[in-house]
Amino acid sequence: MRHRFALGALIVGVPLALALLGPLFAGDPGPRAPSFTLGGGHWLGTDFVGRDVWWQVLLGGRSVVLIALAATVLAYLVALPVGLAGALTHRTWLEELLMRPLDVLLAVPSLLMILLVASVFTPGAVGLALLVALVNIPDAARIVHAAAAEAASRPAVEALRMQGETWWRTAVGYVGRSVARTLAADAGVRLTGVLYLVATAAFLGVGVEPDAADWAVMVDRNRTGLFVQPWAVVVPALLIVALTMGGNLLVDAVLEKRKRT
Amino acid sequence: MSGLRSWVARRLLFGVVQTVAVVLLVFALTEALPGDAAVALAGDQPDPERIAAIREAMELDRPAHERLADWAAGLPHGDFGTSLASGRPVSTYITDGFGPTLLLAALTVALLVPVGVGLGVLAARHEGKLVDRLVSSVTLGVYAVPEFAFGVLLITVFALRLGWLPPTAVGYGTDLLAHPAALVLPVLVLLSRPVCSLARLVRAGMIDALASPYAAQARRYGVPGARVRYGHALPNAIAPAAQQLARTIDWLLCGVIVVEALYVIPGLGTVLMNAVAERDVPVVQGLAVVFGVTTVVLNLGADLVARRFAPRAEVAA
Repeated sequence: MRHRFALGALIVGVPLALALLGPLFAGDPGPRAPSFTLGGGHWLGTDFVGRDVWWQVLLGGRSVVLIALAATVLAYLVALPVGLAGALTHRTWLEELLMRPLDVLLAVPSLLMILLVASVFTPGAVGLALLVALVNIPDAARIVHAAAAEAASRPAVEALRMQGETWWRTAVGYVGRSVARTLAADAGVRLTGVLYLVATAAFLGVGVEPDAADWAVMVDRNRTGLFVQPWAVVVPALLIVALTMGGNLLVDAVLEKRKRT
Repeated sequence: MSGLRSWVARRLLFGVVQTVAVVLLVFALTEALPGDAAVALAGDQPDPERIAAIREAMELDRPAHERLADWAAGLPHGDFGTSLASGRPVSTYITDGFGPTLLLAALTVALLVPVGVGLGVLAARHEGKLVDRLVSSVTLGVYAVPEFAFGVLLITVFALRLGWLPPTAVGYGTDLLAHPAALVLPVLVLLSRPVCSLARLVRAGMIDALASPYAAQARRYGVPGARVRYGHALPNAIAPAAQQLARTIDWLLCGVIVVEALYVIPGLGTVLMNAVAERDVPVVQGLAVVFGVTTVVLNLGADLVARRFAPRAEVAA
């Protein structure tokens, strides 16, 4: 498993470093050249409106990575209290009220939900993060609920309650800490799923400007020149593949290691 | 038996609730427009004439619950309303795009099950060896890769560099079966994620099942290895996989939209994306209902199949 960890870290390292540090080194965009040309001082050629592809690549990873991180955190900010409350309450109707609607929502395909909203108003980057978080809430809340329900049924919780400990101490101090491990595992898996969704939405033009410096948008917009200037498509596509593939290998290796210890 | 029957009844009821919820959600999401819906939908051309036309076409003067009742009443008869952009009934949009999408989905599912199960069984039989490590690593890696990135790389290699396959289905119309070469890359891309997920689940299930006491017992009785593997272990390994198969319907749907956009195939995904771009709300709503209800029905079917293979398994209902 160690080699898988190293492999994952290596594959994800390049796009992640480019995404986070690239904007610092991007510097001046420089003048526009004719579109879809190679050479002429442009290391990777120019894109569909004549901008330098390498410059776009340096800038284009940040939005994908940051939106995905924000969406994952946002999803848990809602899922955690809902799931915990559902698991810890003694009122069955409240548990049903909190959890059942989420089960129903699970039936709606995630990309469809995003496109539905995109058809009536144009979400920006923040809107896309909110939307992706929203479609992840049902599943995340279900996992929190399942893990917390198991922890909440332990004798230790009953003992804490009989000792007269506060609800806060029982819920956060004991149950919350017991589910942290499961949630860390789920968060890793969820992040790769979110990354997929954010990139795909951006490719379909949701949540981004049509000429944004974004790897997914670059793939979409430069497709017309694929036969003339493939680098403008291939480089961002490879970076997205490396980011998602490496991320998944890394998460799996970390989970495997935790399972053994 | 009564336990099973009541479970099936509960599961069917839940499916009905989900269907109703999908219809309500689709209506509510497009209803939740801030401000005047007609103005927002007019978008780039906010001239009063167009706004009035949209208000007229969507009957925005009537209260929301009346419109919902009318719209929902029409759905079972295939009456999805009329398009804002062209004035054609939405159902004609759906019938136009149905063929290519169904073809893509059918081909993908037909290949998905044998390839996914086959890879999973292959890896499980050689657990820990090179074949297993290779299959496990590749399926794990490809699993999370967005279809558009993978697809565009395939186009670059197979259409641009090698020239073996056409880059897109442009010019072939809806009669894709006559041009099988144009279908290879789209189906390959659509298969990429579900195959990986299915193979991983079957592998894990097979390894568990082969190590279980009942498999050992069957071997002790002298039951041939192949029969233990495929007659006893495989059905138990497939039960969790069947449910995952239903969840991959979600992916397949996302995949179809992306793949049709990427390879320019005139299916439902393309119709949906065009409608989203034109803010043609009735068309988007109609397609969303079709996609959503398909997902609900397939999930229902998968749960029933999973229950059939491993009746003792706890299946959510």
